[in-house]
Amino acid sequence: MQIRIGKTEEVIAARIIHDGGTRRMAHPEPAGEEEEEHHGSPWPVIIAVGMGVGYVGIVSASIPMLLVGLVIFAGGAGGWIHQDMQRASSAFYGLATAVESRFPRVSARKLGMWLFLATEIMFFSAIIGSSFTLRLRTGTPGLPTFGGPWATPGQILNVPLTGLNTFILICSSLTMVEALAAIERDDKVKHRIFLLATLLLGITFLSIQAFEYQKLYFGDGLTFTHAPIGSGVNPLYGPTFYAQTGVHGSHVTAGVLALAYVTRKAFKGGFTKENHEAVELVGLYWHFVDVVWIFLFTIVYLI
Amino acid sequence: MATATVTETAGPLAAARKRPYVLVFAILAVVTLVELSVYSLGLPRLGTIAILVILATIKASLVVAYYMHLRYEPRWIALIPLGGLALVAVLVAALTSTSAHP
Repeated sequence: MQIRIGKTEEVIAARIIHDGGTRRMAHPEPAGEEEEEHHGSPWPVIIAVGMGVGYVGIVSASIPMLLVGLVIFAGGAGGWIHQDMQRASSAFYGLATAVESRFPRVSARKLGMWLFLATEIMFFSAIIGSSFTLRLRTGTPGLPTFGGPWATPGQILNVPLTGLNTFILICSSLTMVEALAAIERDDKVKHRIFLLATLLLGITFLSIQAFEYQKLYFGDGLTFTHAPIGSGVNPLYGPTFYAQTGVHGSHVTAGVLALAYVTRKAFKGGFTKENHEAVELVGLYWHFVDVVWIFLFTIVYLI
Repeated sequence: MATATVTETAGPLAAARKRPYVLVFAILAVVTLVELSVYSLGLPRLGTIAILVILATIKASLVVAYYMHLRYEPRWIALIPLGGLALVAVLVAALTSTSAHP
């Protein structure tokens, strides 16, 4: 292959320096050299197959097929985690061919994470938007209602408790970004402490949410089909509340699992100043979950 | 594998250390307290909603800009979440439109 090394590569190198941090960048192989590092892995494909089988199980109401899908998914995830735990978490910029580009490069995985987060924005918008529509229809004079007004802020939900939970999530965002900053400084002790703190704060958030759910559902009677007896609140208030906060809670749960993984890898010495991209990616996801909660807290609890 | 190691200069990391993470945290905490105060003040409903939405937008913007490092990334990366937000705007417009005309 004929490689043209020119001005573009100098620009890329300059941008990497500007980015900060020492990074290794794959360069195109001169003809005859075949010692290319292997970036491929079969496990994501197996995970996708498992999710596909599980999804077919859900839509066809087949529990055995759903279980088979879950087993394949769990096996693929376990294999991928095991494989990744054994090697460094380096940023992969693709092959640095001398293609003229107007766009400064970011790593392939970071670009993938941002694209994923864009789909998540739309996902949460659909959930929040549907609740918003129902609420407009139940609260606007002259429009048909579905059985009563929406609950006023604080009428059913415990706002101070959730305010505390919001503060906990904000704290976890700080510890997460400090964990990344620490490994960028090669401070592995603080890196581990901040990651562990983030994990514990995430678990605390989920615990408080579980306590809130338990009290609301079994104590106050806010169920998937009914509002608390005597409150006069629209019965759709409960399902929309659980849908919005529940999908967010499931995302926090996924974030806690991801945090548990990177924390374990950090304690095994898996991240270095040069190779720590997994921490940055999990951080991006975690902060996004925080951003969603900032809006949910306002929309569901305060307005 | 043929690799080229690009060594950094002292400047960028020194700048990275000065990123205002704690200051952003303090602002987020204070704004959260303000939100709770606005909620409990019992102001007119529309005014309360407007203030709370603005405060939430400020908080979210700070997290995205500083904690998610969007401020320090190449600018074109911002097009990705902005693309998602553009579709959200379409969704909200459609929903409010249909809600106003049942």
